[in-house]
Amino acid sequence: MTLQEFKDILHNGVWKQNTGVVQLLGLCPLLAVSSTVVNGVSLGLATAVVMALSGAAIAPIRSYVPNEIRIPVFILIIAVLVTVVQYLMNAYMYGLYVVLGIFIPLIVTNCIVLARVEAFASKNTLLPSALDGFAMGLGLTAVLAVLGGIRELLGKGTLLSGIDLALGDMAKDWVLHVLPNYKGFLLAILPPGAFIGLGCLIAGKNWLNLRAERKRKSGATVIPIEAGCTPAMH
Amino acid sequence: MKRIARSTLQTAINLVFFAVIGTAILASVFFLTHDKIVKSEEGEKLKLIMQIVPSALFDNDIIQDKLDVPASELLGTGGTSVAYRARLKGEPSAVVLEAVAPDGYSGKIALILAVRANGELAGVRVVAHKETPGLGDYIELPKSPWIKGFDGKSREVYKDADWKVKKDGGQFDYMAGATITPRAVVKAVNKALIYFGENRDKLFAANPPKKETNK
Amino acid sequence: MWSSPFITQPSSVSQIMLRVLLALIPGIALYVWYFGPAILVSIALASVTALATEAIMLKLRNRPIKPFLSDNSALLTAWLLALSIPPLAPWWMVVVGTAFAIAISKHLYGGLGNNPFNPAMIGYAVLIISFPVHMTHWLTPHALGGTELTFGEQLGYMFNGALPAGLTLDAVTMATPLDTLKTQLHLGLSVDSIRDMPIYGHLAGKGSEMVAIGFAIGGLYLLFIRIISWHLPVAFLAALFATAGVFHLVDPVHYVTPLFHWFSGAAMLGAFFILTDPVTSPTTARGKLIFAAGAGLLTYLIRAFGGYPDGMAFATLLMNICVPLIDAWTQPKVFGKKGGGK
Repeated sequence: MTLQEFKDILHNGVWKQNTGVVQLLGLCPLLAVSSTVVNGVSLGLATAVVMALSGAAIAPIRSYVPNEIRIPVFILIIAVLVTVVQYLMNAYMYGLYVVLGIFIPLIVTNCIVLARVEAFASKNTLLPSALDGFAMGLGLTAVLAVLGGIRELLGKGTLLSGIDLALGDMAKDWVLHVLPNYKGFLLAILPPGAFIGLGCLIAGKNWLNLRAERKRKSGATVIPIEAGCTPAMH
Repeated sequence: MKRIARSTLQTAINLVFFAVIGTAILASVFFLTHDKIVKSEEGEKLKLIMQIVPSALFDNDIIQDKLDVPASELLGTGGTSVAYRARLKGEPSAVVLEAVAPDGYSGKIALILAVRANGELAGVRVVAHKETPGLGDYIELPKSPWIKGFDGKSREVYKDADWKVKKDGGQFDYMAGATITPRAVVKAVNKALIYFGENRDKLFAANPPKKETNK
Repeated sequence: MWSSPFITQPSSVSQIMLRVLLALIPGIALYVWYFGPAILVSIALASVTALATEAIMLKLRNRPIKPFLSDNSALLTAWLLALSIPPLAPWWMVVVGTAFAIAISKHLYGGLGNNPFNPAMIGYAVLIISFPVHMTHWLTPHALGGTELTFGEQLGYMFNGALPAGLTLDAVTMATPLDTLKTQLHLGLSVDSIRDMPIYGHLAGKGSEMVAIGFAIGGLYLLFIRIISWHLPVAFLAALFATAGVFHLVDPVHYVTPLFHWFSGAAMLGAFFILTDPVTSPTTARGKLIFAAGAGLLTYLIRAFGGYPDGMAFATLLMNICVPLIDAWTQPKVFGKKGGGK
């Protein structure tokens, strides 16, 4: 893997084909757990780890898996990896495990994981595949972090609340009370806030793209949407 | 025909192979993390219990000293629930009960409450509820200290008429605009205390722990 | 943009809106009579916020400001929102609700004519979801006696959150008649004994029933001058009446009369002023009947079995989502197209 390839994969995963605001894949966990920065980043990182591992696991065996059973085999591998992550979080980050709840096992059904394995890992070698999965996961994590930040700030006036669930009791004082005596704006924390917030983020990304396009003075402004998985709510 | 059968067999073997490897990995991770998971879950339960049972009240392994409580109308429980017993030097000091308030604004409210041996409430917590966010959810501790208003109350001091919110002539606070929720909780706690009064001996006596572990 | 077929005389948007505002006046006058002038401050505050937000959004969208600003549609949204929330609502709630209604539910969808949801009802939904406690503090009508706030004291609460010494919110506010009904039914009382409570009058809540009649009078005026078509209010009120009637006949101990439902909450305001928003209601006559009857049914279901005391706003929004579907269903088939003839 050359340095250029490395950069391309990273750029593609985090920015150009961002799962949250460009491909719009895996929106259900995205909307459900983005009520705080800590929740969003935790689930994002868990997904990134699963994606990196599944890319790494599937790339080397891709030539041994008969074409007709590749989907069940891929899902099997992803399910195993997700369950491993679930066990580990249950054992070592119990508080967070309870908060994220059903959305950890549901990473299996997040179609972005299978989509990347199908589109990338089944055609590439180990290192690029792992990197691709991880970069995609990082892109998702970034969206979750920003969305979680907006919702938490508007909804509760804090940032990083619940960080002690992820990092233990020593982190209890790290919570930032950005707006002291804030009355709270419940809408931002509740599901509508997630939809409105995500809509604003997508608009922001499109606006940045448009501006970049205009600078380059080239015509096309259409953002390609990755095929292979419908942008449904999974 | 033979070729088709062979390729089908090969595919099946292939699939089985991956399934076996997957199962092996899962099984080993399960055994590696199982103890730790059980410990985390118990730790979490203990944390919740410690919130309502002062640690000075018990020296036994409270998580292990449990008792199955049959469904009861007074507790509002539809099935078997679990009671944890706190003991100090072998003497019963408090019991942790699960109770359900069936008539919250939007459904059931699940509670746990700790009752001292003398019938006084050591503490109450809401475990699960579906009340309106921002309106009825002040029964949750981080949102408001309201639930602490039960600490130290008993049916000894408060008679039936007192177990109501102040709006209805009772002794318990409420927030203007959301009275159904606290009403339901106060009523459920009162009923749970009645249950405790009727079953006190049963709750403490049955199934004494095999061995007390000092902590 | 403005193509609804029921407008019989050619009028500009701003003239129509002006008449609708005019039709709200009897209701507002009765509101002031029974509950004091605080509502006027709310309406003024909402109007200023609406116009300012409208101007900012038009500027951001590079649209001409003056013609759009003077079409009065933002004013109507502001008035309807102010009339739907408690008159004592703190100033920041009025501002947040109105700004949200105009900026997000109107302009982000493409401005007047393109918004799928009634902006005022979106503003209301945002407020009741976000600040449910404040949304339960309704003023007690004069007719009930008891402590009354002077106009200055009402302003003090709206802008500083301060009540005169010795007064609690409980002493000067009360739950709405619908809310009280729900709470008392929950406690196991029968409808008859609840209706005997002093807050209830002949039809529904004391004071608020008269305000509802005021809105109905304004609505009839709009019907008379043909700014709104009869389909919407009639289908809505009929569906609400019929559903409430069935429940009341089957179990009069637990379900109030249909008339009570007509004259409490936002039913009258909704029937004549909210559902009739031409942008967010269907265009065909049959579509209007389906739309309004659905809203009536949902309003009743939310009131009787839902989590909020009044269901007008949520029923309107739910039916708003269905409008494209209803329009597609009820559009007369083009002659000669397959499946056109029956």
